[in-house]
Amino acid sequence: MKKSWLRDYIIKRLFYSVIIAWGILTITFVLVRAGPTSPADKYLANIAASGQDVSQVIASVEARYGVDKPILEQYADYMVNLFHGNWGWSFSTSMPVTELIKSHWIYSFQLILLSSLFAAVLGILVGIYSAVKQYTRTDYIATFLSFIGVSIPNFWLGVMLILVFSVKLGLFKTYYDTTLPLFSLANLHALILPIITLGTGMLAGYVRYTRSAMLDNLRKGFVTTARAKGLPERTVIGKHVFRNALLPLVTIIMFDLGSIVFGGAYLTEIVFGIPGLGQISFNAIFANDYPVVIAVTLIGTLLVLLVNLVTDITYTYLDPRIRYD
Amino acid sequence: MTKRLQDIARRIGRPFYGNRRLIKYYWERTRRNKLAVFGLAFIAFLILLALIGPLLTLDPTSVNFEEKNLPPVGFATEKSVYNIETDEFTTTEVFGIWKHPLGTDSKGRDMLAMIVSGARISLLVGLIATGIALILGTIIGVLSAYLGGWADNVLMRFTDIMMTFPFFLLLVLIVFIFGPSLAFIVLVIGLTGWTGTARLIRSEALSLRTREFIIAAKALGASDSRVIFRHLIPNVISLIIVIATLSIPGVILAEAALSFIGLGDPTMASWGIILEAGQHSLDTSWWIAVEPGIMLFLTVLAFNFLGDGLRDAFDPKSNV
Repeated sequence: MKKSWLRDYIIKRLFYSVIIAWGILTITFVLVRAGPTSPADKYLANIAASGQDVSQVIASVEARYGVDKPILEQYADYMVNLFHGNWGWSFSTSMPVTELIKSHWIYSFQLILLSSLFAAVLGILVGIYSAVKQYTRTDYIATFLSFIGVSIPNFWLGVMLILVFSVKLGLFKTYYDTTLPLFSLANLHALILPIITLGTGMLAGYVRYTRSAMLDNLRKGFVTTARAKGLPERTVIGKHVFRNALLPLVTIIMFDLGSIVFGGAYLTEIVFGIPGLGQISFNAIFANDYPVVIAVTLIGTLLVLLVNLVTDITYTYLDPRIRYD
Repeated sequence: MTKRLQDIARRIGRPFYGNRRLIKYYWERTRRNKLAVFGLAFIAFLILLALIGPLLTLDPTSVNFEEKNLPPVGFATEKSVYNIETDEFTTTEVFGIWKHPLGTDSKGRDMLAMIVSGARISLLVGLIATGIALILGTIIGVLSAYLGGWADNVLMRFTDIMMTFPFFLLLVLIVFIFGPSLAFIVLVIGLTGWTGTARLIRSEALSLRTREFIIAAKALGASDSRVIFRHLIPNVISLIIVIATLSIPGVILAEAALSFIGLGDPTMASWGIILEAGQHSLDTSWWIAVEPGIMLFLTVLAFNFLGDGLRDAFDPKSNV
C-alpha cells in the first residue's frame, strides 16, 4: 500500500518538532543566561583571598566567555554558531562541547540500552505469564511485585543496592570504574547494580502494561475462533494474542526510552558516578557551564521528539488501519 | 469575592456532596479493592502523623553528640573510641536504646522525630504542588477545549513544548539558578507539572462538549461560565481526583530527588534531605539512609494503590 499521506505527515511532524526544539532551546537559554549566576563565580573565593579587584576579574572572565554582551546578541550568536555545527566551548572542562559529548554519550547509551533490554525482555515475559495465569497465585504475586517496583524511588534503590551488595557483601565496587573497556564482561559486571536501579521501575511498568494488553485481547472473538479451530494454545497466545498486544506495548516502551534519559538515567548516573550525559550536565549546572547545559538539554529534547515520531510511524506498520491527518 | 469562591466550590463539589448515594456507591466499589483500602489507611495514618506527630516526639533539631550514630532498637553497631592516654582504639558494641527507637544521626538528633517532621514537609510539598498543577491543568484543558480555534492551538503547542521539556533537568536548572527555598521548589514543580492534566482534561472536555446535555444547556441560554462550572467541570471531577492521587507521589519523589542531589532546602529536613545526609555514611550508620527511604517508598506505594483503586471505582466499565 502506498502511503503518500505518511510522507506529508512526517514532514508536518518534523516541522512541529523543530518548533518545539527551538522553543525549549530558547527557554533554556533565557533561564541560564537570565539567572543571577555567572561562570566567574567559581573564581570569586580565590580572588577575594588574594586581594584582587573582584569586579575587574569578573568582567574579564565574562568577556572571555562572551557573556558580557546583551542577551539578545548572545542569543543571536549562539543560534548562528549552532547552525554552523558549533555548539560552543565548555568553560569548566576547557574543550569544545561537541568533544565533551562525543566522549561521554556512550556511557549513557550503554546504561540505557542494557537497562531497557533487561526490563523489556523480563517484563514482557512475566506480563504474558501473569495474564495467561490470571487470578492464580503467581499472577497475584507478579501484580503485587510490579506495584512495589513502580513505587520504589530509583535513587533510593540504588543507594540500598550499594549498601547491601557493595558495602556489606563487597560483591561490587561502590563506584563505577571508568577504566573498564566498554561492552566487555567486566563492564557488564560493574553495570549490574545500575541496570537493576534504572530497570526495576521500567520492568514493573512493562509487566503491568503487558498483562493488561494481553487480557484485553484474550477476551476477543478471534481468540475464541483460533481456539475453536483447534490451534495449540502456544500459537493462540504467541501469535494471536501477543501480536495484538504488542501495539500499545511498543508505544509505552518507546516513550519510556525518551523520558528515562533525563529522569531515571540522570539520577542513576549520579548515584553510581557513571560519567554519562546526565552526569556531565549535572556537573555543568553546578559549574555554571551554560553551553554544556544547553547542549545536553537540546540533545535530550531532540531524542525525545525523534523517538515519538518513530513510535508513531512504527505504529502505522504494526497496525495498517491507523491513519494520521 | 469569598461568596463567589464559595459558589464555585459548591458547584464543583456538587456531584459529591450533593449526591450521597453516588459517594456511597464509589466507596463500596473502592472498598472491594483491599490494596486501595490499605493505601487509604496508610495515607490517613501519615496525615495524622504529620498533624500531631511532632507534639509527641522529641525535638527533631536538638543536637546531642553524646548520643550520635545510635542504631535503631534491636540493632547493634561497632564504634571505635580513641583513648588519648593509652594511645589506642577500643572497639565497643553500641546498641539502640528506647529513648531513640529509630536511632540517631551523626549529630545525635532523634531519627524518629526527624522522620515525623519530614512527613509534614513531604506531604505539604505533595499536596500544594499537585494542587497548583491541577488547577492550572484544569483551567488550561477546559479553556483549550471550550475556546477551540487558534486559542486551542496556541495552548496545546505550549503544552507540547512543556511536555517535551526534560522535566527533571528543568527543575534542577531552575532551582540551582534561583536558589533552593522550599516554597520556590513547590511553586516550580506545580508550574511545570500541569501538562498531563491539561491534555487529559481537554480530551475529556472535548468529548463532553458534543454531548446532548451540554448542547441542551447552551440551547436553554446558559452562559459560558455556567456551562463550564456547572456541566463540564463536575463531569471531569472524578478524573481530576484520580490524576491528583496518582501525581502526588511523583511530586514527593521529585522533591526528594532534588534534595538527594544536593538541591533541597537545607532549612527544611524533608525525607530527601535526611536521605542525602545518610548516603554519605552508609558504611557506619546505614539506618539514616534506609529509614526515610522506606517512608518515601511506602507513601508512594499507598498513593499508587489508592489511585488505582479510585480509577477502577470511578470507571463504570471496569469490573473490580
